Amino acid sequence: MSMYQVKPVCGSLLKPDLPTCMYTLPNIHGQQGNSCTSDLCSEHALQNGEVDPAVKALEARQDEILRKLYELKAAVDGLAKTVTTPDADLDLTVSSSLSSQSPSSTTFTGVTNLDTLLGKDLGALRDIVINANPAQPPLTLMVLHSVLCQRYRVLSTVHVHSSVSNVPPQLLSCLGPRHADSYARQMFQLGFTLIWKDVPKLQMKFSVQNMCPIEGEANVARFLFKLLSPYPSDAALATLVDSWVDMAFFQLAEGSAKERAAVLRALNSALGRSPWLAGQEFSLADMACYCCVLQSGPASSTPSNVQRWLKSCENLGHFSPAKPFLQ
Amino acid sequence: MTKDEVQGATEEEQAQSKKGLKKQQKEAEKAAKKAEKQAKLAADQQGSEEEDFAKDRYGVPLMVLPTKTGLVDQLIWLRARVHTSRAKGKQCFLVLRQQQFNVQALVAVGDRASKQMVKFAANITKESIVDVEASVRKVEQKIESCTQQDVELHIERIFVISQSEARLPLQLEDAVRPDGEGEEEGRATVNQDTKLDNRVIDLRTTTSQAIFRLQSGVCKLFRDTLTNKGFVEIQTPKIISAASEGGANVFTVSYFKTSAYLAQSPQLYKQMCICADFDKVFCVGPVFRAEDSNTHRHLTEFVGLDIEMAFSYHYHEVIDSITDTMVQIFKGLRDNFQTEILTVNKQYPSEPFKFLEPTLRLEYTEALAMLHQAGVEMGDEEDLSTPNEKLLGRLVKEKYDTDFYVLDKYPLAVRPFYTMPDPNNAKYSNSYDMFMRGEEILSGAQRVHDAQLLTERAMHHQIDLEKIKSYIDSFRYGAPPHGGGGIGLERVCMLYLGLHNIRQTSMFPRDPKRLTP
Repeated sequence: MSMYQVKPVCGSLLKPDLPTCMYTLPNIHGQQGNSCTSDLCSEHALQNGEVDPAVKALEARQDEILRKLYELKAAVDGLAKTVTTPDADLDLTVSSSLSSQSPSSTTFTGVTNLDTLLGKDLGALRDIVINANPAQPPLTLMVLHSVLCQRYRVLSTVHVHSSVSNVPPQLLSCLGPRHADSYARQMFQLGFTLIWKDVPKLQMKFSVQNMCPIEGEANVARFLFKLLSPYPSDAALATLVDSWVDMAFFQLAEGSAKERAAVLRALNSALGRSPWLAGQEFSLADMACYCCVLQSGPASSTPSNVQRWLKSCENLGHFSPAKPFLQ
Repeated sequence: MTKDEVQGATEEEQAQSKKGLKKQQKEAEKAAKKAEKQAKLAADQQGSEEEDFAKDRYGVPLMVLPTKTGLVDQLIWLRARVHTSRAKGKQCFLVLRQQQFNVQALVAVGDRASKQMVKFAANITKESIVDVEASVRKVEQKIESCTQQDVELHIERIFVISQSEARLPLQLEDAVRPDGEGEEEGRATVNQDTKLDNRVIDLRTTTSQAIFRLQSGVCKLFRDTLTNKGFVEIQTPKIISAASEGGANVFTVSYFKTSAYLAQSPQLYKQMCICADFDKVFCVGPVFRAEDSNTHRHLTEFVGLDIEMAFSYHYHEVIDSITDTMVQIFKGLRDNFQTEILTVNKQYPSEPFKFLEPTLRLEYTEALAMLHQAGVEMGDEEDLSTPNEKLLGRLVKEKYDTDFYVLDKYPLAVRPFYTMPDPNNAKYSNSYDMFMRGEEILSGAQRVHDAQLLTERAMHHQIDLEKIKSYIDSFRYGAPPHGGGGIGLERVCMLYLGLHNIRQTSMFPRDPKRLTP
């Protein structure tokens, strides 16, 4: 059947405007069909599963680039951690403003829930009572208290027991100024009551029906720390933290000069390997050791790594409550 | 009768005639016998007089004025009571007592004292008041039974100023003996009723002396602390026309042609003083409660120490003021009255009183939670019963180690009509109670200072408005927000010392069964 013949609308050889920013590839379909004879074209066609070497080269380049990217990212991460603990050259005011933004979120990670840790809230303030001797103020606990205050709404009060006749005024204000809402105890999640009393050993009481009193600054510090973030899940790391805490309280604070020197040497060697005592993160071990190192002796005899680490701790900004007692 | 007189009688006989001689003889015989007797007596007397060189060193004179000096190996004059006297051959041991202190004294036959003097000393009745001149001597062995253990007195002169009756209604050693010891050793202790019936003697014991000196200290510390804080002491009337807190517990007195009541508390007048711009007031005076409660902690008349003050921002200023006063009182007692506390503990042993500064303040909901944890089920708006209060006291003691604390924000339903409700939560009120050793000593609150609100609250409690008209009227001419509370002096002393009956801290107690002494 013959069809109408229509005159051509557009010119036969219209040259398209090709963009110049793209790679020009040879026409896979046209040229191969034109340049080869019929029996030769199958040779040049791609076999099943075979990839054109050019594509392969491209893919290889892409992989290479991505790998380099990941490496860079890891390096930057590592650097970032050290930036939050800069060395002495960095201005303290700058670092404290950095840390005050959210120190707890960067330093203490992990989800904690007061209800699961301390028991259901029966509609009354959950009050932690600590009996301490004014002759040995518990610096670690004061530091933990200031961190707790950033995380939860804490009602802090300081009392003097009748067994002690008087107490220096800095011990009375060691937990900071009285909260404006302190008349409404129910509005707080946690109570922190510090009682200066003539006790031989520091003691903590929380739920008299269910718990026996906890004795010793180290143990109370562990209890309070767990309200902030759980212990590392890796058992070895958790044990390391515990052993440093014990070393701090038994040998640094209460030990002889020889023991203290030994602990300082151990600290020095541990801090040579990692920025913090328990690996890459600031932990209770660092807190305890810092307080005990500074409480026990003058700073001149401490080794270099320890001194650097001490400065890093200070730059974190958590230890300001303990400052007045370390002179 | 002297020897001279006897000689005179015999000389007269020889000058008479025969008739009269017989008569005279008879008379003479009579006289002779008489004279003999007298001579014998005189001889005895003189003989004793001769022996009694110490005659002027003892007796019952009319008036002696002692002068006190007092150091070892010095001669002193001393007025004291004879606590005990015990003769032993040629010596007589006396224990002389002045208030809480006693000292051993010794009369021994020697160059200063005669046998008669020693006998006299041994026969002085207990509780008699004597004046003694003695020299103070050190002893090698401590005298355990006296408060002055290092010295004893060697008596040179002893005079009885006021003699006591021989039979005492109660013995002081028995009154001071702790109850347990009495039962163990089979010795007597004195019943409380006997002690109260013979209060004059019972108050002489070392324990009673210590208790009431401490009570005087409490009053003084209360006054001094509040005066230093700028409070003004006021005196309120005790004869009033209308019962302030419900009509059941008032005493009625006849008042000329009508009757009046004895004040249950100075509440109304304290508040009127605040409305009269005195800002901070306190008053110390008797309080009369006609409650027929025969318990260990209720009296019908007791001394109330009441405080009322206007505040600027929050009624917690009132709580802080009251608790600070209490803490100052406790500190003052702890620092200055240790001797008295130890004396009382000898007869009534107890734990020393512990407190915190600033005072612990818990909320009612916290108390309910603590009791709930201990297994006590209580409604949200229920009042604390006495056993629950005691249990709560024990729980607080265990956790915070304090015998004194404040419980804040009581439920509105259990408080009187003039208590200000909590603006944030209608179920609760701005009221508080204070506890010592688990027993309530103070009930206080922020008061309603608006006449309109007060009328509403009174109607809610179904109180006859006519009876309290003058009370409501006092707030109609501008009244500042204020609050306060009152404590009972006797109860505070009893709980501070850890005693178990309020009659021990009331000098002449009044209860439903006792009106004398």
